[in-house]
Amino acid sequence: MSKITRRDFLKIAGAASAAGVLGYASTARAAEGGKGAARVVVIGGGFGGATCAKYLRRLDPGVAVTLIEPNTKFITCPFSNLVLGGLRTMDSLTQNYDTLKKKHGVNVMHDTVTAIDAAGKTVKLKSGKTLSYDRMVVSPGIDFKWDAVEGYSEKAAEVMPHAWKAGPQTVLLQKKLKAMKNGGTFILVSPPNPFRCPPGPYERASMVAHYLKEHKPKSKIIILDAKDAFSKQGLFMDGWKKIYGDMIEWVPGAKGGTVKSVNVKKMTLETELDKHKADVVNFIPAQSAGKIAIASGLADDKGWCPVDPKTFESKMHPGVHVIGDSSIAGALPKSGFAASSEAKMCAAAIVALFKGETPAENSLVNTCYSLIAPQYGISVAGVYKVTEKGITEVPGAGGVSPKDAPDSFREQEAKYGAGWYASITSDIWG
Amino acid sequence: MKIQNSLSTLLLTAACLAGCATEPPPPAKAAPATPAAAAPAPTVAVAPAPPPSPAAVVNMISNCYSCHGTDGRSPGAIPSLTGKNAQQALLQLKEFKSGQLAATVMTRHAKGYTDAELEALANYIGTNLK
Repeated sequence: MSKITRRDFLKIAGAASAAGVLGYASTARAAEGGKGAARVVVIGGGFGGATCAKYLRRLDPGVAVTLIEPNTKFITCPFSNLVLGGLRTMDSLTQNYDTLKKKHGVNVMHDTVTAIDAAGKTVKLKSGKTLSYDRMVVSPGIDFKWDAVEGYSEKAAEVMPHAWKAGPQTVLLQKKLKAMKNGGTFILVSPPNPFRCPPGPYERASMVAHYLKEHKPKSKIIILDAKDAFSKQGLFMDGWKKIYGDMIEWVPGAKGGTVKSVNVKKMTLETELDKHKADVVNFIPAQSAGKIAIASGLADDKGWCPVDPKTFESKMHPGVHVIGDSSIAGALPKSGFAASSEAKMCAAAIVALFKGETPAENSLVNTCYSLIAPQYGISVAGVYKVTEKGITEVPGAGGVSPKDAPDSFREQEAKYGAGWYASITSDIWG
Repeated sequence: MKIQNSLSTLLLTAACLAGCATEPPPPAKAAPATPAAAAPAPTVAVAPAPPPSPAAVVNMISNCYSCHGTDGRSPGAIPSLTGKNAQQALLQLKEFKSGQLAATVMTRHAKGYTDAELEALANYIGTNLK
């Protein structure tokens, strides 16, 4: 190590700059007062973080990028509903970091961030290491509000799985579904807004119905919903009726869908109006920004992280950017696609800021496919711009698949959904 | 220089719209029964919006990669963006926008961009995505 610490150097550089004698403005981040390669630490290797790490390196190979992710493998939430439907294996949803390391030169550390010091621009890791950064990107996904409903907890999730972070919970829910008797009741508890993947609970009901129709056709699915409306609602309900008849019953909040308490021993759920008994419960809890974002003071009092829509820089801590599900990104949904789009804009903004340039205009996009049956896909799309009101949808564009489309259109969207998965996962981890 | 380029693109597009109505083949199925009168073919108009900066175009095109693959090379069922010249790409994008060319989601996406943005995207596709 040099005798001059980085902090000393910054003082010297700052003083020199103030005196107007800084003589090496050619370095990429001279405008931000640094020397040598600019350093970005990215927390979280999911759709947001992994994209940001890769695109930072693509946009400026001179930027040193460290990605901190606890797991050596990443199992995608997108397409994990298809595992329940018997259409995908867990292996087929498993991504790794080899290409990010070898091809894109990202320094991937399998570790956990225990604390962020935004003022000192350092992060502490579980392994004991401390890393310094010039800019940080936080993309930790979601955390659950475990105590929002009486009787539910992290421990209760072993009996009533959430399966809303793909992995062992997905496998557990599938195991319970497979063990359920023909004629059993599967209850899905859908969370209040805002939450990760707005069409996800309804695609899940569809995929569970596909499995049950094939293997246990006398069974029933009840969706107990805290909400009175949901993403792609008309398309889902038309598809359910067409393919699954009366198998799926949706109970909205206004008709007693909001679950007040659960009993994991008795497998019962109480709403304001009713008591339900289930054979399998998939309880998706209310959500907030990821744990590290909340612990670091990046979230507001509602549990999500306010950001500058042009750069995704935190409004709480300068130098820290928050992307993906944890951020408050205006009209953009909390989807893997949106997280990846935000990550690309954030990477471009960071590279521009290091060069002392104004970031270019953002372009944000979302496309989410849902599968109702193997040959029956639907989608929602949106194009977004930054306006004085934040991130807003471009009027006249986007929207859901047409209501009265022929079967061939649904088939094409099912095919393109699989194409989307292949493309976005290779764009992020490949 | 830049103005001349985009002008020549517009002229070529105009020629193409007039003279090569059958190409390129649509990647999706035949057009749904959208009456031509309901979605008239736009005559080539000079967009009032200024062209996006090169960095803004890189931002825009990067979103396409999520479905069409990094640098437009698709590993799966969605068509690649490679192998088109700027004129072909612009014609397709404009026809997605007008609804003349049938598609699943591209008709919804293309409406989110000004003609100047579509032209910049088409030029990027023709120049950089090989």
